[in-house]
Amino acid sequence: MLLLVIGLLPILSMLAKSVIVDGRLSLASYGGLLTSAHQWTLMGHSLALSSLVTALTIAFGVPLGILLGKTDLPFRRFFTVIFVIPLLIPPYIIAVSWFDLLGREGLLAYFLGVSATRVTARFLFGLPGCAAVLFSIFLPIPMLLTIIFLRTINPRLEEAGRLVSRWRGVMKGITIPLILPGVLLSAMLVFLLSFGEFSVPNFLRYNVFPVESFTQFSAFYNFKAATAAAVPLAVVTLVVLLTEAAFLRERTYQLRPSPEVRRLPPVELGSYRKWLLGLVMILGFVMVILPVIVLIVQSAGTKAYIEALGWAGDSLLRSILYAVIGATLLTFFGFFTGYLIQTKALSCWRSVDSLTIFLFALPSTVIGIGLISLWNTPWTNFIYSTPVIILLGYLAKYTALTSRISVTQLAQIPSSMEEAAQVAGAGWFRRLGFIVAPLARRGLLAGWLVGYIFSLRDTGITMLVYPAGHETLPIRIFTLMANGSPQLIAALCMVMITATLLPAGILWVIPGVMTRKVIR
Amino acid sequence: MGDTRRYDQKGDQMKLVDIDSVSKCYNRVKVLDNISLDINEGERTVILGPSGCGKTTILRLIAGFIAPDTGGISIAGELVSRNGRIIKPPEQRNLGMVFQDLALWPHLSVKGNIEFGLKAKGLPKIERKQRIREILKLVGMAGYADRKPGELSGGQQQRVALARALALEPRVLLMDEPLSSLDLELNVRLRKEILRLQEKLGFAMVYVTHDRDEAFDIAMRVVSMKQGRIDHVRTVTPCGDKDA
Repeated sequence: MLLLVIGLLPILSMLAKSVIVDGRLSLASYGGLLTSAHQWTLMGHSLALSSLVTALTIAFGVPLGILLGKTDLPFRRFFTVIFVIPLLIPPYIIAVSWFDLLGREGLLAYFLGVSATRVTARFLFGLPGCAAVLFSIFLPIPMLLTIIFLRTINPRLEEAGRLVSRWRGVMKGITIPLILPGVLLSAMLVFLLSFGEFSVPNFLRYNVFPVESFTQFSAFYNFKAATAAAVPLAVVTLVVLLTEAAFLRERTYQLRPSPEVRRLPPVELGSYRKWLLGLVMILGFVMVILPVIVLIVQSAGTKAYIEALGWAGDSLLRSILYAVIGATLLTFFGFFTGYLIQTKALSCWRSVDSLTIFLFALPSTVIGIGLISLWNTPWTNFIYSTPVIILLGYLAKYTALTSRISVTQLAQIPSSMEEAAQVAGAGWFRRLGFIVAPLARRGLLAGWLVGYIFSLRDTGITMLVYPAGHETLPIRIFTLMANGSPQLIAALCMVMITATLLPAGILWVIPGVMTRKVIR
Repeated sequence: MGDTRRYDQKGDQMKLVDIDSVSKCYNRVKVLDNISLDINEGERTVILGPSGCGKTTILRLIAGFIAPDTGGISIAGELVSRNGRIIKPPEQRNLGMVFQDLALWPHLSVKGNIEFGLKAKGLPKIERKQRIREILKLVGMAGYADRKPGELSGGQQQRVALARALALEPRVLLMDEPLSSLDLELNVRLRKEILRLQEKLGFAMVYVTHDRDEAFDIAMRVVSMKQGRIDHVRTVTPCGDKDA
């Protein structure tokens, strides 16, 4: 019910308002949608960008996931962590970093002269630059899903292959076909996330639907035009998700770690090991380390950081506060939703799951406009004019993440644990609070962390709904990007990266907190 | 059942697998402690013991999925693993294996499951087709080539797993409690089927079980295990078993 109010109702309200003109039903807002060449250009740009990003991330991410999840490549855990970093920070920070390197006044110009950066700047601003930046941000999705799906394969299936074939044959004939649903799922996710991404195309001046929707709303305050530009985004999202539901859903529900504890030893790379290590190091350096180095160099010196904290210290504290509250709400809400999905306690569990996925895949601008449409009324101003509206946005958008984490964790707890408590006379709340939740505490912690990171990095929803005087750090950086000094922006980006990764780093170093335990 | 064992000119049994003073630890727990065992050509050896006694570990060592921490294993006179090192990988050992959960590849048809190994060995298409037809006929599954494993009953899946393991005419067939998930009636029926196939094709068989009746029904030799060691070995004769 809560999910319907915070997630679906805003979207329905947005659609309803866009078809009512002067109190009468009218499709005037959508008049130009099919006939305007501009709209078709936008759709072409959006599809080209998301298709290119999807193709690139799958081409690199799946082999990378296999290398990190299946072979004896050195430093596999380190590389996994490194490649995930771009996904955890606001996307435009990577774009800012590449701009600081390749732009006309970037570091490359300092070393090679302005003429050298004419080509690189042309590359950066437009489809190739946008695709390259989004590629580095979304690369971890197929990489991680490949690693996770590899762990779901019963090792006996591969052993049966190993009796008659070398690893290459087993990979081609058995392992890769078995993880294909995971590959397709990651392709779908990357496609939808890059289709809905607006901050990177906006910064790199590549006009796509989410940018149009955002511009219509924020620059012209043309609500109906913004909605009309958001509708194709929602339709494409729905079509892709329905396709996923028809062909993949049953298979991806089986995303459970294989109960086998003894796995096959990693595939030995032999003489290829050092070459592949070199390639992975180069990719990691270019995609992750270089952008961070550029930001560090650009922001060098305490002056920039003092100025940054002076400019945005309040936004930083606010961001952390909202992210902590958001993460806590997401953890609770995601846990209950995950429990409903896992135990199939309600007959509508599949619809609940589909709705969370739909809201996650829906572009942030669509959710933002939906929230404004529903809550911007004199009667609901007590919500709309307070940070509660931001938290509602977080809940609508990111519940899918925490509920999926809970489902995975709950699937590993034998149902007999809860049944034993039930036989002992414990009620539902007692069972959930004293038996299930403590057993799922690692999942809850992981959910909280993911909720914190995604709430903190959120730009799309917050940008549209934040009440005056409540802007978060990503919003402050985003608005400064138009006229702030590169040093100041780089320093703010570094502050943002630190605030995002610090809790994960703390939990990582506390012994036993993030290590996996199998419940039998 | 007939005697499928093979003997050399001196009348000794021909040794096919030689497990020599093998020990194996998992997470510092010793699961096998200085085991020595021979498997002879055409012989049906059953390893009998309770859960956790190390019987599956012996199969995995012979198959080459893991290496012994100490000691060595030879197949047909050739050293295949020794002291923590795998010298010959599984695919070069010419073994067949039926797993406890059968491990039929769910995305491939019955034909695809059998063909995978034949393809990996580089057999031409016509030969592959013929071999699949023959082996499916042998296990009584001739009409099921295009079915997926999920569309078969437990007994049928069992036959397909057998067919897949035997398609490459292995020297040794390893069987890891393959009938444990079946009801007694089907279990007994398939036991007879396995014995019929072994007699017809003459391969050596290492069969792991915790069921005493099953063990003595199948075996020519029963190796009883206890806490990672061989407790005793009995030769089974039609007149009753005797200690080796």
